[in-house]
Amino acid sequence: MNGLRLAWSYLRIGILNEFQYRANLYIQILQTFIALAVGLIGLQLVFDQTTQLGGWSRTELLAVMGVYILMGGVIRAAIQPNMERLMDDIRNGTLDFALTKPADAQLLVSVREFRLWQTVDVLTGAIVIGVALAQLGWSLSALSALGFLSALVMGAALTYCFWLMITTTAFWFIRVNDIANLFEGLYAAGRWPVDIYPLWLRTGLTFLVPVAFAVTIPASALTGRLTFLTWLGALGLTVLFLVVSRLFWRRGLKNYSGASA
Amino acid sequence: MSLAVNVSSLTKHYQVPEREAGLKAAAQGLFKRRYRTVKAVDDISFQIPTGEVVGFLGPNGAGKTTTLKMLSGLLHPTGGSASVLDFEPFRRSHDFLRQITLVMGNRNQLSWDLPALDSFDLQRAIYGLHADEFKKTRDEFIEILEVGSLVKQPVRNLSLGERMKMEIIGALLHKPKVLFLDEPTIGLDVTMQKRIRTFVAEYNQRYGATVLLTSHYMADVEALCKRVVVIHHGKILFDGNLSALVERFSAFKTVAFTLTDSASDLTPFGEVAARDGSRVTLRVPKEKASEVTSRLLTSLQVEDLTVEALPIEDVIASVFAIPKEAA
Repeated sequence: MNGLRLAWSYLRIGILNEFQYRANLYIQILQTFIALAVGLIGLQLVFDQTTQLGGWSRTELLAVMGVYILMGGVIRAAIQPNMERLMDDIRNGTLDFALTKPADAQLLVSVREFRLWQTVDVLTGAIVIGVALAQLGWSLSALSALGFLSALVMGAALTYCFWLMITTTAFWFIRVNDIANLFEGLYAAGRWPVDIYPLWLRTGLTFLVPVAFAVTIPASALTGRLTFLTWLGALGLTVLFLVVSRLFWRRGLKNYSGASA
Repeated sequence: MSLAVNVSSLTKHYQVPEREAGLKAAAQGLFKRRYRTVKAVDDISFQIPTGEVVGFLGPNGAGKTTTLKMLSGLLHPTGGSASVLDFEPFRRSHDFLRQITLVMGNRNQLSWDLPALDSFDLQRAIYGLHADEFKKTRDEFIEILEVGSLVKQPVRNLSLGERMKMEIIGALLHKPKVLFLDEPTIGLDVTMQKRIRTFVAEYNQRYGATVLLTSHYMADVEALCKRVVVIHHGKILFDGNLSALVERFSAFKTVAFTLTDSASDLTPFGEVAARDGSRVTLRVPKEKASEVTSRLLTSLQVEDLTVEALPIEDVIASVFAIPKEAA
């Protein structure tokens, strides 16, 4: 397929680009290490006081942390850099180059950047998940594993849609650069399963910013909490978000070219 | 002859927010915005036959870039119609985009940190070019522009002119049939401008491509375009041969000569535009040029007399100085 080949070409360029900045790898490893240490200490502090948190045991929360780190890596490697470049392009007028190419514009702006070294987080997250699973006695069924993987993909897709819609508002407001910080702040809440938060915050973290789908639901699949109904709901919401964000993107693009004026 | 570009009554209006200076007005603007309609392009029509190179001239803000953007599918016209290669540009069909290119001299699209060769590969993927054909075209362009040793260096290490050469190669790898070049030589030194110019001319010759070029450097236009379209305040002021433009808008000619008797009074002959020792340049109304010349020759001791049209820059400058109401 053409789209896949295009994505692969950009991925290749992104990787080549990252090799120019070797120092970033070491900085990233250091950052990941610090974040992991802070996370583990936090977990330790909580479980010095109690044996469970909102129905989650210590080992299960380790799995949540693993998913949190992994998904954070995916977002910072593939989603956030593309959306930040899109914001810059809209502001500087360089989006014109992307729009004069014979390729789907949304696809193009979504695959242009890739931060290879952020995948250190993906790897670390996977290891933490592995450790948690080992402590849980490898009791994961094939169905749960499938549920986990599909929930991860859906979580990433929902997060992408969220970013795309926010970034698309740049077509109207031009300056939306602070959303990266806003997202980082809210995503940090995903370190813990969203069911420990009060209802209003839980609702916000589920439907406004899809932290619940990005972290809690995949982690639920790992720990045998995910029901088929929730999974189906997540699937439905993912499809809905994909469609809505595409429509929103097209609307923004129309505004950019002055077709709606 | 078939038409590559056909523009008829093309119009683009922008709504721009407007407010008085100051904090109070800015605060009011938060709630109620006043808009003003700016006619960036106001009912223009022109045709370009396949294979022609046309210079698109106008001062800053005349509507050149807006027109190029409408023709390349980036902007939706407010009114009128445009067709490029029989496509409606704003539909941005892939078949259309595959056959055009847009080069903007003040913006670049190559990856800053990578050698241009890597960015060229990306173009191949975007346009779905066949590997052998792509290589042949790429190497051919690299050879013509003599950048063989530069394509392997990160783009950020190249000079402005070298970078522009790479940009142009990248923009032409898919061998587009229509080229929209917006100030492709801006900021480049004279030699580099000439290189780019020659390359564009060669590309046009070799592939029979149609070129619409904007530039502030008249040398570009003189070298590449027989025909120019002058746009000012969103309207077309002139469309025709470059020499006809000079003929029509230049009311003056210059008469240059060397005086052997430097004390002579020259005021009866015309306005002295320059005087450097015994070398004098007079500016005289076009219709009086021959009369002034003969009077000069009979009444003064002069050598090396030449009569010339005003430099094209001066003509263009006088056209651009026409106020909006007169345009």
